[in-house]
Amino acid sequence: MKVFFPGWQWLAAPMAALTASVALAAPAAMLSLPDFDALAAKATETVNISLDPALLGLAAGFLDSSNPDDAATKELIAGLKGIYVRNYTFDQDFSYPSAQVDLVRKQLAAPAWQRLVEVNNTKDHTHVQIYVAVDRGVASGLAIIASEPREFTIVNIVGAIDLAKLRRLEGKFGIPKLDLPNGKDGQGK
Amino acid sequence: MSDDRHEPESNDLERRLRAALKPVNPGEGFTAGVMARVAAEPRPARRPRSPAVVSWLAFGLAASVVLAVLLAHEWQVRRIEQGREARRQLIEALRVTDEKLNLAYRVVNSRQDAAPAQHSGA
Repeated sequence: MKVFFPGWQWLAAPMAALTASVALAAPAAMLSLPDFDALAAKATETVNISLDPALLGLAAGFLDSSNPDDAATKELIAGLKGIYVRNYTFDQDFSYPSAQVDLVRKQLAAPAWQRLVEVNNTKDHTHVQIYVAVDRGVASGLAIIASEPREFTIVNIVGAIDLAKLRRLEGKFGIPKLDLPNGKDGQGK
Repeated sequence: MSDDRHEPESNDLERRLRAALKPVNPGEGFTAGVMARVAAEPRPARRPRSPAVVSWLAFGLAASVVLAVLLAHEWQVRRIEQGREARRQLIEALRVTDEKLNLAYRVVNSRQDAAPAQHSGA
């Protein structure tokens, strides 16, 4: 297993960077995602979500502010300009065509994007890269590329997302309750 | 020179014009005569719309109103469906994002757990 980020304190840095609010999302934070036709053809389950600012606004309109969970979600997406998710699940181990994934990785280049963490578990064949878009010193986007033996995922969030707020939604709306330590508590461990 | 030659003609024309356009008193009965003629002329009768035309107009108006209400309702229903779908997708996107962040954390954390074990074993 290779870990390219020194120490597990990596969680503190992105938390701090991504908590910073930003008024406008940099256009560079939005990735051009290919169709991934080859993946979709072999996938048993496909999640293709493209929420542009208009759809995010529409979704926010259907969140009930009087409901604490909805209100938290509304607050979480308040600064976002888009959420784009491509998730493919396979019923057997699948070797992903790298060309299309490389098209995405090429966009995640400095100075617009900075790699926060890259974890590569050769035993589990799990490879996760997390990038953050930085605009004038503040986080303006997030990208996750996760390759697992039977699952491939790309997430692109345009705008500043507060991961601490995202964590507060765990256990709600079907978002699994995770065993992550609290940001402050976890930093010292 | 040429002006002198045409002067008598223009003077004559001017004199005739003045004579022709000389104001003339129409007389006391002129106004009364005009008013009497106007009163005597029959007014053009307004053609009444046939009941069929009125019915069709009313039907058209009512149909337009009903159509507008139906379209507004349909738009509202679609808007609600789109909103619910957008909300569902938003929750799903947040779920996937959280799941993958957790995956990264777990891989890093497993390394952290393995490191002390290796140190203690050494």
